[in-house]
Amino acid sequence: MAEKKAEAQPKTGSPILEVNDLGVQFWVSDEWWMAAEHLDYTVNAGEVLAIVGESGSGKSQSSMSLLGLLPSNGRATGSAKLNGRELIGMPPEKMQAVRGNDISVIFQEPMTALNPVYTAGYQIVETLRVHLDIGPSEAKQRALELMRLVEIPDPEDRFHSFPHQLSGGQRQRIMIAQALACQPKLLIADEPTTALDVTVQAEILKLMRELKSKLDAGIILITHDMGVVADMADRIIVMRAGKVVESGTAEEIFYNPQHPYTKQLLEAVPHLGEGTDSEAFGGSIDDVEASLSDITSDQASHADDPVGAPDSAVGGDGLSEAGAADMAVAEARAQVTAQDRPDIEMDSTETYYHPGSQADFSKPSALQLRDAAIEYPAIGRKKAFRAAHHINLMIAPGEVVGLVGESGSGKTTIGRAALGLLPTVEGDMVVNGTSIKGLSNKQMRPLRKEVGIVFQDPGSSLNPRLPVGESIGEPLYLHEGMKGPELSKRVEELLTAVELPTSMRNRYPHELSGGQRQRIGIARALTLRPKLLIADEPTSALDVSVQAKVLDLFEGLQKEYGFACLFISHDLAVVERIAERIAVMRHGYLVEIGKSSQVVSNPVHPYTQRLLSAVPVPDPQEQRKRREARDAVLEATMNA
Amino acid sequence: MSTDNDKQNALALDEVGDNAIESKETEGLSQGKIVLRKFLRHKGAMISIVVLVLVAIFAFSAQGFAGIPGWWKFSHTASGPVVNPGGAPTWSFANFFSLGDHPFGQDEIGRDNFSRVMKGTQISLVVMFIIGIVCLIIGTVVGAVAGYYRGWVDSVLMRITDGFVILPVIVVGSILGVLVGGANGPLLGVALGCILWVGLARLVRGDFMSLREREFVDSARVAGASDFRIMFKHMLPNAMGVIIVNTTLIMSQAIVLEASLSYLGFGIKPPGISLGQLISEYQTSFATRPWLFWWPGLFIIVIALCVNFIGDGLRDAFDPRMKTIPSWRKMKKAERMAQKEAK
Amino acid sequence: MIRFILRRLLSTALVLLVVTFVLYLLLNVALDFFWDLRASTSPNIEALYESRRRLLDLDTPAIVRYFKWLAGVGGCAIGQCDFGIAWKSGQEVTEQLQGAIVNTIKLITASTIVAIILGIAVGMISAIRQYSGFDYFITFVSFLLYSLPVFWVAVLLKQYGAIDINNFINDPTLESWWPIIIGCVAMGLFWMGALGGSAKRRVITFVAAAVITFGTIYYILASGWMQHPTIGLLGVVVIGAGAAIVMTYLSTGLKNRRVLYATLITVAVGALLYWPLMNLFYYVDMNWLWMFGLFIVAIAVAVGIGLAFRGPDPWDTARTTSFTAIIVAVLIFADRVLQGWQEYSDDPAINNRPIATIGASAPNIDGDFWITNLDSFTHLLLPSIALVLISFASYTRYTRGSMLEVLGQDYIRTARAKGLNERTVIMRHAMRNALLPLASVVPVDIITMIGGAVITETIFGWNGMGKLFIDSLRQAELDPVMAYILITGLLAIIANLVADFLYAVLDPRIRVNA
Repeated sequence: MAEKKAEAQPKTGSPILEVNDLGVQFWVSDEWWMAAEHLDYTVNAGEVLAIVGESGSGKSQSSMSLLGLLPSNGRATGSAKLNGRELIGMPPEKMQAVRGNDISVIFQEPMTALNPVYTAGYQIVETLRVHLDIGPSEAKQRALELMRLVEIPDPEDRFHSFPHQLSGGQRQRIMIAQALACQPKLLIADEPTTALDVTVQAEILKLMRELKSKLDAGIILITHDMGVVADMADRIIVMRAGKVVESGTAEEIFYNPQHPYTKQLLEAVPHLGEGTDSEAFGGSIDDVEASLSDITSDQASHADDPVGAPDSAVGGDGLSEAGAADMAVAEARAQVTAQDRPDIEMDSTETYYHPGSQADFSKPSALQLRDAAIEYPAIGRKKAFRAAHHINLMIAPGEVVGLVGESGSGKTTIGRAALGLLPTVEGDMVVNGTSIKGLSNKQMRPLRKEVGIVFQDPGSSLNPRLPVGESIGEPLYLHEGMKGPELSKRVEELLTAVELPTSMRNRYPHELSGGQRQRIGIARALTLRPKLLIADEPTSALDVSVQAKVLDLFEGLQKEYGFACLFISHDLAVVERIAERIAVMRHGYLVEIGKSSQVVSNPVHPYTQRLLSAVPVPDPQEQRKRREARDAVLEATMNA
Repeated sequence: MSTDNDKQNALALDEVGDNAIESKETEGLSQGKIVLRKFLRHKGAMISIVVLVLVAIFAFSAQGFAGIPGWWKFSHTASGPVVNPGGAPTWSFANFFSLGDHPFGQDEIGRDNFSRVMKGTQISLVVMFIIGIVCLIIGTVVGAVAGYYRGWVDSVLMRITDGFVILPVIVVGSILGVLVGGANGPLLGVALGCILWVGLARLVRGDFMSLREREFVDSARVAGASDFRIMFKHMLPNAMGVIIVNTTLIMSQAIVLEASLSYLGFGIKPPGISLGQLISEYQTSFATRPWLFWWPGLFIIVIALCVNFIGDGLRDAFDPRMKTIPSWRKMKKAERMAQKEAK
Repeated sequence: MIRFILRRLLSTALVLLVVTFVLYLLLNVALDFFWDLRASTSPNIEALYESRRRLLDLDTPAIVRYFKWLAGVGGCAIGQCDFGIAWKSGQEVTEQLQGAIVNTIKLITASTIVAIILGIAVGMISAIRQYSGFDYFITFVSFLLYSLPVFWVAVLLKQYGAIDINNFINDPTLESWWPIIIGCVAMGLFWMGALGGSAKRRVITFVAAAVITFGTIYYILASGWMQHPTIGLLGVVVIGAGAAIVMTYLSTGLKNRRVLYATLITVAVGALLYWPLMNLFYYVDMNWLWMFGLFIVAIAVAVGIGLAFRGPDPWDTARTTSFTAIIVAVLIFADRVLQGWQEYSDDPAINNRPIATIGASAPNIDGDFWITNLDSFTHLLLPSIALVLISFASYTRYTRGSMLEVLGQDYIRTARAKGLNERTVIMRHAMRNALLPLASVVPVDIITMIGGAVITETIFGWNGMGKLFIDSLRQAELDPVMAYILITGLLAIIANLVADFLYAVLDPRIRVNA
């Protein structure tokens, strides 16, 4: 078996997979419904072919059809040849020998794609032993090798871990190890990093690049993220509604797109560093080396650091102006940093204030968090969980502040606490001049007029049993007792404001598209003309082109209504576009806050640096430069 | 499974062509109407509903109800002359088109079995519905309160349900039957309803707990809705699926439970009458007068089966994941048909 | 984990205490302790009322009496149980309980095991063949079973399962071939639906199943098997070999010759041991301890055979051989029990009507270990069938639902994408996950089963707890009723605990977190 493989492994550049007129159909309500058609492409050894498209473009289903893994009501037509062997219509027994052996798959959700009742090691061993005639101990040795290959720490321990004991990134590594087990000729990566945080995504992308050169297999990368495409792809296919609209090399697609849809798609992608005059952090290796020397060596000279020292000096000034007693911590910080560029440990939990961003609680504000700590209350025997510690944050009236962080950083917690949905247990939380700490739901009610929220998942944030008009009108009914035609008029005005036709008020949420639902969500939040709006990842569930439209709308409304906004997101590029200031959270602590341009081009906290350098930008050449920087930062902050 | 997503996503795509979909001025179907439409397509449930309604109409009209006289010539208490030897049914396969005076036969003292079975069906149906309603009310309120407030309220309510779950319903039912059993059907129904609500309460609680985490509940709270409004205007309609389906399933258990208790002598007792009580009364005559055993049993089974199928249809209709994936054969067949038409 | 279980135990025990308290008070209101005196015209009626009141201590408030009762029960902790007396018969409740508990547990255990095995198997096949004719058929059957009142089924079973079959055994004349033909076609359709496959395979399955069924029925009728049922060495070998093949297919697939040969050798060893075992059974008086010991030996031998075959996965082989050995052991045991059939059937107490309708054992049967077991099995037969019919449906439905849920999971797609064959995907990846939630259904179902046993025991005159409960309730005997409540409550608690424990063992997510 092993010898056969060695000789069958094609040389770099020779075509592995040839797809001709591939189509996928689903049997839905008594007719075949087209999911993809007329696909023609080839994949060469050692090459990454990216299939790009938004949801519903058929990119995933067409690739699954190669393996015969369509749902029972799906069928594939046309031809797909793997080294000359026809895959479409292959009998199941033969297909089983292809799956996992010649073609393997990396799925999107590492959490659900691994069987929860078997250990990680067992699942790799299983793949090996299905296709190769080897004994358990040899398979275990190979599995451990694979785990080392995908850089899992302590492979011997992790071998016996169950999936739920591993982190998301480790699970995805196991998934990759399993996919690579039999040295496949073709690897299908179906949104391999979509479910992961951006820094984990960066690690996985780095790993996949390294493996690509080692293994010499063809890779089909299915994704919607143009940044990931720019980072990985050699050639690109753009799909829309089941059809290929454009294909070409990465350079062709990115720098000279022909089809209007491709252009539109590329324009819609927010690009990190767009909002600032200077380049975003991580644009070149020099950038990183400068800051790395900070991290690694205390004695390093900072002469070549262009902005660090003066910035810090101003920071000290700003602080002395504030002078509040509860600022003691920050003050101590400022004294240290007054002389030098701040030298912050990765695990530092103190907040670094860029100049002009200190919380000055004497000024009028839409939202103030004064040394606030927020807890998820205890339920039954489950202990209370403190999700945010010592947060000092202020949002001026009419200001948009972006709050970024990875999953579990506590960013959503702050948003929910500002709405009184979670209790502030220490410090104080002041919304529009009133402290909401310790208020009951009833006491909160009059205050709710002035705060609105837009949720992440537009599907879940609207009551599925109410027509959307009723959802929008509910706050008016509850707070102003508005009813009948007057209410209808207001609802219609709001719908017009979010650029939806007034007839839509009688529709139910499930009849609307994601973008439309999110517009409804925004309309609802703005019903009472709130002074403060909490936007919790409002666009992360949307496709890029829809996201761009919703962001445009949002910006327009913000200018018109003039509300202050806490914009919570994991996507730095989106936040940079929309927010005046950016606050960065990590593990429940606010680690850095400053003007968007300051944070993006001159981050101080190592975590922010790591975060920034991990973001892939939709531009292959720029991304190539950023990649070096990214890998250097990842290397330096590996154990963080 | 994925196809539906894809369909939805295909809709989402229209956003690209900006608001193309919006030109359609159709007023949308509410969730309730979608459920109804799915339910109406469930053949088993539809047949069951028809059968159940027919049985109910027959039972109530034949013997009369609440003082209104029925159309059947015999009363369930009056005994008359025994027509066939041993009281055998006058209606049989050999003689299919003539019902005769006593289509279901007579008992040993000449009472008409048809009228007794119809009367028994009436009472059993009434008891079943009362049990259903009592369960619906208690189960929903307890489940909703426990799931919404959580914490100690939940702990206390769940310990109470534990107490009910620890013993089989038939045991507690028998004890309650000793207390309230007799000729009074509705009272027995209420008593049994008071012990059967537990399962429903647990399911409603679970549903409320997960609904509570949904963002629309938060968004209602942010809009300024009170707890009461959130629970009843926002969460309850979304929990209706669980409530309706499980109340139906409880009702199918209920009719069998009532019959069993009456059979054991702790439910409806003579002179009261119910399907279970009839079987109990005639069980010893199985060898000699089997029709007295078969008919009431058949009606219990038909009613319970119908209610079960209705419950199944409701469950399918309410389950958003439920999609009828056609069999391979059906797909091929439909395709051949389509090709023929194309020619 | 232990802390979790202890806390559960404590809280359920408290709940049980409260339940007994409430029910004690309720029963005091509900029961009429003077029912037998109401119609009495005896001149000294006043005195009779008075003595009854004194006998039952009715002048003491019910709450106080409850604690007295509780104190008596609490005596069990120090080995002096006092559950009170059944006043009508004057028996001590502890005395009544002794046989009853054993009988009920016997009945419920037998039925639960059969229902679980059948229910899971049918439910899984039904889920795999979703929306097929087989699936619809099973759905219909399970709804039908849900709708059947136990007592009604029990009466039918008595008539057709016992009286008619006993008649047939004594007078084996066949009135019509139609039932047999219908039976053969039905079996053919059943297996065709269950095994599925291409049109050609379906036809083959249908014909094979129908022919095998016909052959079996014909053999049974023609050879007079009904009068002298036996398995014999040949039966052990044939059925054992069939079991070996099925076991191998399910666990590793028939392509793994090593395992197939190992299981077949296990059957061969069983067959070789057949005569020695028969001699042993003849010369030595057997009891359950012996049986248990031999059972362990059988498994040990099978594990030995499995390991001796070595190969890359000796324990997989050993697992398969042990399952085969269990089947062979049960076959040999059943064969030996059936050898006593003639003697049992001829016993005057049985009078050639071997399928019993009343009681847990025939009175005046004195035979050896084998005869008493045969007697016990013939009595278990009908009540168990009645109970199995009811919980079979719920296990089927539950397994089906859970299996369908699991089959839609991402990790099943991953398993397929790895190149595993369908059998491995289902047996290894889907089944374990699908059966996990069943652990929480089993205790609930056992409680339902205890409830069902109340009716079945009453109808079949099975002297168990359920019958005791109903009889005592009818006679307004408070103490036995309370004893029943307490003991079934405890059984329910134990069932729940076992389920929790199983769940924790089977699900790694819980094992680690707790």
